Amino acid sequence: MDMNEKPKVEEKVEEQKPQEVPEVEAPKLPDTKEGKLVAELLEKAPYAEGNVRRERRVEFKVPADRIKEFLELASEKFEMLIQISVVDWLKEGEFELVYQLWSVSESVHAFVRTRIPRENAKMPTVMDIWPVAETYEREAHEFFGIVFEGNPRLGPFILEPREHEKHPLRKDFNMIGYVKTIYGEDFDRYDESKTNYVI
Amino acid sequence: MSERKNDGFINYELQEFKLFEPLFKWARKKSLWIVAFCTGCGGIEMPPLATARYDFERFGIMPNPAPRMGDLFLITGYVTPKTLKRIIITYEMMQDPKYVMIHGSCPINGGVYWDSYNVVKQLDKYLPVDVAIAGCMPRAEAVMDGIMEIMRKIEDGTADGWKRYRENYEYYRKNQDELFGEGWREKDARRWLAWI
Ligand code: SF4
Repeated sequence: MDMNEKPKVEEKVEEQKPQEVPEVEAPKLPDTKEGKLVAELLEKAPYAEGNVRRERRVEFKVPADRIKEFLELASEKFEMLIQISVVDWLKEGEFELVYQLWSVSESVHAFVRTRIPRENAKMPTVMDIWPVAETYEREAHEFFGIVFEGNPRLGPFILEPREHEKHPLRKDFNMIGYVKTIYGEDFDRYDESKTNYVI
Repeated sequence: MSERKNDGFINYELQEFKLFEPLFKWARKKSLWIVAFCTGCGGIEMPPLATARYDFERFGIMPNPAPRMGDLFLITGYVTPKTLKRIIITYEMMQDPKYVMIHGSCPINGGVYWDSYNVVKQLDKYLPVDVAIAGCMPRAEAVMDGIMEIMRKIEDGTADGWKRYRENYEYYRKNQDELFGEGWREKDARRWLAWI
């Protein structure tokens, strides 16, 4: 076979059938412990949406202005905060915060999702519910620049602080440009001359 | 020889000691005390190296907690600017002759973190390196091989990083200052080392 022959990509594309998107139905809560947990919480907090993903995994969507209220309610059943993770939706101009909770008594993992605008992102702190939130909020602050009002430890970047290094995990942070200015240009595999083609 | 008398260091290469130089080299080679700066994943290769399986003490190598008494500076893994400051200060605290061995791809060229905002790409720009062991991570055998290499280099006098650091101090100092900003010793290092 000719080595230079290009793989026939187009044919492969044609072979693929368009996948049918399954219609999203309003989730019915199953008659399990997860379903009961969600139903119980939603009764107290009608502003939230909730469903059961699978066994031992539940999910809530909460508007950002009522997140504190909701988490306070949820903390009765979900005693532990595992993590606060952030997703940067650049095109929509929003940050999605995912509070991951673990219920020690029921062994259920819950995602509590909420969206806030990217500009001047602000959230109330949840340190008074789970003190461990201090670390996770600090992390979200350093990497994404979200301000958690009431958290006293939102300092500068814990590694070498520079002004332009503040939020390196934002999608619009120019990583390569930054690396080239800080560490010099003579290291990487984008080197045009290929003299230092190392990796 | 004579023009280097006033450089502020004790010049051990004085004429009367030349006779014993082969003996000194042999002794240095046979009694490497390691200052291990296990910054990253590479530190996990040290326990098998030190324990019964590979047992580096049979070569006279010993892990040593104090930089003042160390000969071999082992840097195992990725180096961030924050740790690089500590590495440089530790290196400067060690007495001559001192040898540097780096361990894994990360200190050589950034390794898997080559485009990370916080990993130093070439350690060689900031410190003189005598032996680099490639691999992510190198097995304990490879580290043993690197130690053999540095022993060979000590014996034939090519492990001269400590001399290069002295002679090219401006170059290293310039690179360090470029990364950390001028005056980082006064600002940062004084926080941990009161006598600087
Ligand atoms: S070279 Fe590999 S094993 Fe070593 S520090 Fe880097 S990533 Fe970790």
